[in-house]
Amino acid sequence: MSEAGELPLAVDGLTTAFRVEGRWYDAIRDVSFSVARNETLALVGESGCGKSITALSIMGLVPKANGRITAGRVLLDGRDLVPLDETEMEKIRGNAISMIFQEPMTSLNPVLPIGFQVAEALRYHTALTGEAARARALALLEHVKVPSAARRFDDYPHQFSGGMRQRVMIAIALACSPQIILADEPTTALDVTIQAQVLALLAELKSETGMAMIFITHNLGVVASIADRVAVMYAGDLIEIAPVEELFEHPMHPYTEALLSSIPRVDRDAGDLKPIAGQVPPITAMPSGCRYADRCPLRVPRCATMPPLVGLAVDPNHQVRCWVRAADESVSA
Amino acid sequence: MTTPLLDVRNLSKTFVARRGFMGGESAVVHAVSDVSFSVAAGEAFGLVGESGCGKSTTGRAILRLVEPDSGAVLLKGEDVLAANPRRLRALRRRMQIVFQDPYSSLNPRRTIGQTLTEPMAVHGLGSARKILEAVRMVLAEVGMPIDAANKYPHEFSGGQRQRIGIARALVLRPELIVADEPVSALDVSIQAQILVLLRGLQQRHNLSFVLISHDLGVVRHFCSTVSVMYLGRIVERGPVPAIFDEPLHPYTRALRNASPVPDPKAKVIMGKLEGEVASALSPPSGCHFHPRCPHVMEICRGVYPSWVQVAPDRGVACHLYPAGIGSTVSAAAAPGR
Repeated sequence: MSEAGELPLAVDGLTTAFRVEGRWYDAIRDVSFSVARNETLALVGESGCGKSITALSIMGLVPKANGRITAGRVLLDGRDLVPLDETEMEKIRGNAISMIFQEPMTSLNPVLPIGFQVAEALRYHTALTGEAARARALALLEHVKVPSAARRFDDYPHQFSGGMRQRVMIAIALACSPQIILADEPTTALDVTIQAQVLALLAELKSETGMAMIFITHNLGVVASIADRVAVMYAGDLIEIAPVEELFEHPMHPYTEALLSSIPRVDRDAGDLKPIAGQVPPITAMPSGCRYADRCPLRVPRCATMPPLVGLAVDPNHQVRCWVRAADESVSA
Repeated sequence: MTTPLLDVRNLSKTFVARRGFMGGESAVVHAVSDVSFSVAAGEAFGLVGESGCGKSTTGRAILRLVEPDSGAVLLKGEDVLAANPRRLRALRRRMQIVFQDPYSSLNPRRTIGQTLTEPMAVHGLGSARKILEAVRMVLAEVGMPIDAANKYPHEFSGGQRQRIGIARALVLRPELIVADEPVSALDVSIQAQILVLLRGLQQRHNLSFVLISHDLGVVRHFCSTVSVMYLGRIVERGPVPAIFDEPLHPYTRALRNASPVPDPKAKVIMGKLEGEVASALSPPSGCHFHPRCPHVMEICRGVYPSWVQVAPDRGVACHLYPAGIGSTVSAAAAPGR
């Protein structure tokens, strides 16, 4: 996209490889998307689809021993983050881009009080020190609705419930008013009623601050309730991207379609559950063409080569990476 | 009325939790309190609720994998809790369990064949040849190739391991399977494969299921009757889909509203339910749900509501329905505050 410079974050042709038994394999390949201010982009897919690798690549957290970004750019306000070294990335992480993880217990330090951990982000990235940092940390905890935050400021993570710990994580992520929040399965470990509370909080904070949010999840129900746009990943490829209502109403990629009809729904009667046969190929044996081809009922010979991600004539914002479906919809680009 | 396959009556289980320095203090956790339900032959019965509600403990207590404190569990009229070790072994052949995480419930050092033949050997069922034939059949039935018998659990994916877990339960040809979150660890596309498999087995063998899940979608898809649990007690019981389409208990309604649906037009009612699940160590007085309930009344704070059978197949424990499903329902069913 040409207007990449105005977007808080644009990922362009990102390819990240991992070494398995001495050989390098692409865990994600040619992933491109962008996210606008005050927009939530959901990155959705099943385990191993590359959604978390995408997040780690954006944050510069790909483990150096066995992984590397082999192509592509990550543009933060037009500036490419890929070539930056660790010192420079440390200034960006937790400042311009923050991350929220799935399991708050493992990402919070168990031996430090939670208030201290919120204030730490402020002391590190801003000029605030001592009392000022403490006061701001308390305000943040109140903002994310930790009940009686002042009294609980010096409590330790184990004294909090899962939902409250996740609120603390969100407070840390928000500490430096980031432009972008990267939330990796932030509600997956929570019970549904608590999940609903945390989703409501995130939606509220996003519209309040106008930040961009990349929300990684495997749960299409959560996607439907929080996303503005959705990017679907399969086996390391971004296969479809569309505004949320469009994606759920007119899924174009055969995988997206199959995924949607394999969810047992609480609002619908049983009987229409259609599983996807087969399984995702292992990273060491990925086909060079469309990675879904083996399981796809629409497969044609052309699928042996990788299809491009193209916009559809009916809605250029709806892009799909499929030879068959893109051709059906008379490709615009 | 005919005897149900499984009849659970007033089942209770408490645990003693040690807390404080070196476990010096102890506290009693009422994990399961006064739980009753019955499951007919060939029926899929669902137990739903959030973590800590006692659904797994209930499932395990049925099989005496944890010993209940009081109550009765009857399998075709025979008392499971009173059975001596020999009778219990015979009863357990007829009721099996499938766990959430097949990786931790399969022995990593045994081949799949060894894992599947062991239960048959334990129960002394037939000759070596007959056992081998049974293993071959059960593998085919769960959609696994026969050469899987010579492999180890780590050679399989999560979905395949769950098929093996199901095969292990199935090999004894039980009448009842307690399935504790059988698809929760799986990706949606694999989850659907397993649900379709379980449904097929249920129909082919007239198998009964107690399906324990936190996922209302899974329960709606698989079960014909559902009980909703909150802090150790059943708060509502009813047929599918009525219990989800017209929930009576405010907690069932909250759970239903908070369950995300893959439809952007049907956004979940986000964050409506205030507060968190209280600790089972110190459940709130009266109705355990009252601190979070949008319809809380004075009586709810002091008195636990008694069970009201509002229809032959529908019951609820809530003060909103003091005399059944009369006029109070329409008032309560009005969409929240």
